[in-house]
Amino acid sequence: MKGLKRLLIFLMVTMLALSGCASQNSDAGGSDDGAKVELVYWSMWNSTEPQAVALEAGIKEFMEKNPDVKVTINWNGREIRKTLQPALDNGQKIDIWDEDLERVTKNWKAYALNLEDYLKKTYDTTDGKRYEDAVMGSLIELARYFSEEDAAYAVPYQPFVFAFMYNKEHFEAANITETPKTWDEFLVACEKLKTAGYVPLTTDDAYIDTLLGYHLARYKGYEWVETLVQDKTNALWDDEAVLKTAENFEYLATQGYLSDTVGSNKWPAGQQDIAAGTVSMYLNGTWLVNEIMGSTGPDFKWGTFSYPTVEGGVDGQNAANYGSQAFQINKNCENPDVAFELLVYLTTGKWDTEIAKQSFGVPVSGTAEWPSQLNEAKSVFENLNQVYPWAAGIQADTDKLPIIAEAFTKLLSGQFTAKEFIEAMK
Amino acid sequence: MKKSKSMMIIFLAPAVLSYLIIFLYPSVRTAFMSLFKVENITDAVSKWEYVGLQNYQGLQESSLFVQSMKNLVNIWFFGGLIVFSMALLFSVILTSGIKYKSFYRAIIYLPNVVSAVAMGTMWMQYVFSSRYGLLKGVFESLHLTTLTNIQWTSPDMIFISLLIAYCFGMIGYYMLIFMAAIENIPTSFYEAATLAGANIWQKFTKITLPLLKDVFRTNIVLWTISSVAFFIWSQVFSPLNPEPGTVTPMVYMYQMVFGNNMVVTDRNVGAGAAVGVILTLIVVAMFAITSKLLKSDEYEY
Amino acid sequence: MRYKMNKKTAMLPGYAMLNLWILFTFFLIGWIVVASLSTTSGIFGGKILSSGFHPSNYSKALFTHNVATYFKNSMLYTFTACTGVILIAAPAAYILARYKFKFSNVMESVFVSALGIPQIMIILPLFALVTKLNIANSRLLLIILYIGINVPFTLFFLITFFKTIPKDFEEAAAIDGCSPMKTFWIVIFPLAQPAIVTVTIFNFITVWNEYFMALIFANTSELRPVAVGLYSMIQSMRYIGDWAGMFAAVVIVFLPTFLLYIFLSEKIIAGVTGGGVKG
Repeated sequence: MKGLKRLLIFLMVTMLALSGCASQNSDAGGSDDGAKVELVYWSMWNSTEPQAVALEAGIKEFMEKNPDVKVTINWNGREIRKTLQPALDNGQKIDIWDEDLERVTKNWKAYALNLEDYLKKTYDTTDGKRYEDAVMGSLIELARYFSEEDAAYAVPYQPFVFAFMYNKEHFEAANITETPKTWDEFLVACEKLKTAGYVPLTTDDAYIDTLLGYHLARYKGYEWVETLVQDKTNALWDDEAVLKTAENFEYLATQGYLSDTVGSNKWPAGQQDIAAGTVSMYLNGTWLVNEIMGSTGPDFKWGTFSYPTVEGGVDGQNAANYGSQAFQINKNCENPDVAFELLVYLTTGKWDTEIAKQSFGVPVSGTAEWPSQLNEAKSVFENLNQVYPWAAGIQADTDKLPIIAEAFTKLLSGQFTAKEFIEAMK
Repeated sequence: MKKSKSMMIIFLAPAVLSYLIIFLYPSVRTAFMSLFKVENITDAVSKWEYVGLQNYQGLQESSLFVQSMKNLVNIWFFGGLIVFSMALLFSVILTSGIKYKSFYRAIIYLPNVVSAVAMGTMWMQYVFSSRYGLLKGVFESLHLTTLTNIQWTSPDMIFISLLIAYCFGMIGYYMLIFMAAIENIPTSFYEAATLAGANIWQKFTKITLPLLKDVFRTNIVLWTISSVAFFIWSQVFSPLNPEPGTVTPMVYMYQMVFGNNMVVTDRNVGAGAAVGVILTLIVVAMFAITSKLLKSDEYEY
Repeated sequence: MRYKMNKKTAMLPGYAMLNLWILFTFFLIGWIVVASLSTTSGIFGGKILSSGFHPSNYSKALFTHNVATYFKNSMLYTFTACTGVILIAAPAAYILARYKFKFSNVMESVFVSALGIPQIMIILPLFALVTKLNIANSRLLLIILYIGINVPFTLFFLITFFKTIPKDFEEAAAIDGCSPMKTFWIVIFPLAQPAIVTVTIFNFITVWNEYFMALIFANTSELRPVAVGLYSMIQSMRYIGDWAGMFAAVVIVFLPTFLLYIFLSEKIIAGVTGGGVKG
């Protein structure tokens, strides 16, 4: 019995000592190695993702070149969407963070530094140009647009387009020579793919609502979609565009153009079907290439086309959700100059190319080359001039979203008819 | 016995203090907060905006919250039914003089010691998979086409799948409690019943069940508490956004307070607090109802 | 024997059910282990056995994530919290069990009522509080919280036990000139060992698998315990479509608990059954 007590006390003392040491260590941090500037970067990536690997290498090189700077990275993963704001409210030292451009600007602008002055300066890696001229101007514009005050609060990197990603080999085998521009052409393509023995289309629970959002937005524009979901009276669901949309998708389901498992796909199960070569198309961001690279290998023949137009619709293929990931700098950052220099270092020249290459993504500086997998995505990107919000507005009401997603899943898996779908929405 | 005031204070103080800080103060503040619109969890009281019962009203109008409460009730009722009947069945089998009792008991209890994240992932990514899933494989080899074609993770099945997986893990714990209680019942009761010509079923309903009343009461309270805290399984089954089949009040509150995964939303910490108050009231009510219905009458044995 | 079943055949359905259950459990775990050594395309193609042996899934999971840190944290949180809970709850439980004073009954039921307060009710103000005090994100905070939330249950459990210890012990000690406080630590506390072990096992399992508090109060990867760490590992494997790696992560987290359980299962089960029955 004495033994137990002694053991307990021993354990407690060691553990307390350990915890004491540990917290001291993390507090004391870099002060021992003489670093003068300390930056803390909270990342949206998980440490195993290629973006993380590339960013880490880039940051390491930056620290080697600037020995008095020490950057601490915290790999948050996408949980950053929930953890960052409480931590910022909390006054935790976080100098730099990143997430989707739209999300960082709309959610966290109040915590971020206005970067306009920095964008107008030149840096070592910008070839004598001002920073804003050395990178994709459209994205800087987008950052200003989202901020609603014509000032950029974020540094974009890793641009993406949200469009149909498809397997070019399937299209060739099915003898589809041109990518669909209209919904009718899309249906023809589906039929050809089906005849050639492929499943034309799939999606996952995570993205299923984007199909609905895009389709409705092609008919009526995204602002209408936002009104549709936010309207508590549900009157707009009786609109003809909704019925047509639902019937369009019902047709896909009855024709067997959708994967059998579309109703039960838990992300990224559907994406793995694309990788496995059983399904041809998937509405997703250009990041899809990277996310399933582990299964496809680099030789997979990727194609991209913008969401087709619909008859009598208002929006063309020039409208899509596009954007980028983006860094922000804390407005309370003690060394904003150094922080911005780091971001410049990562988003221009060598590391811009390197991050794009390693993650099969798009470089943000106009001069760098796009990965070969994204050749078609590049032309889609260049043709865009109207930006949709995420999922073209269908997610504007978080309360309604799960219900929409569930009913739409049933529509796609053939459990609901178009009419039943509309009934379920009211 | 001699009372020593100083000793009482020294011995009680840490526990009382921890109770005040960790339970009393936060509960009172949460109850208070549920009457205000609070944008950020860290906002000072001066930034709170009094809205009366509006938060509760808002919850009542929120279809997602209503759905989450329905799920909670279903988890509590159907889950409870499954868990208690299976646990009771296993405990009766295991206390009837079966061989390798401790081995069986240990394996059935095993899921309780493993992290729910690990267990949930096993179920979600393997058992219920519509491609290489265990259920699909088993039914396929038995040529049960309808069962093979069930898509366990589709919107209309996911709640059932979630419930099965959750119950699988919970049965062991309640089984142990039932077993201990059954083993406490003197064998002479059963011997007398056998002499009187009672069959197994009669012995079970006339002796075992009535004597387990107290244990049932404890178990129902424990089950209510764990149902109300239902969170991590939902997270594992729907990691990205809440979905109607898996959303629970805890998940709803998490989204309310810390924001949604994908889109920019209004956060309202006050509504999150209101969810907390509602759940607390449910637990209290359950506690009162079960104590009343299953009044403890002392059996002497 | 509760139900006299003379014929062995009467037990057959029972054996069949148990064996089916056990079979399922083993198959479930076994498949996960095999899949964790396979490849993603092997898993999706239904060929986990023939897709080769890939132990590299484990090295990937182990070295690219802070698995070791997660385990270290979990161990630290669990051991310290379990010890702390006993040190706080045992003396208080003793007083409440032994002495009758003005509010002793009220106090006891107030403590017990905390068992019914869902975590969701206390988490928001606690978050605001630690923010204000600027103590968020430290190991110490999590330990304090884990101690605090487990005090009521432990207290409740130990009160019942202390009531069963005869008062003779204290009386004898008093005659020997031992002060009441000393008596508790030297005489009573050791006597309570079985109850303390039992309740500690409970607390151990609770804290080890705790998820919600850790998710909210430990937001950097250095502070994460195993449960939250595993969740973030699984998420990260999904983002790179590495199923085999995901199952490897599950096994890595599962295995130590499983091995520990094999050695301790008798003790753990005895603990659960010894304590839980009191209504």
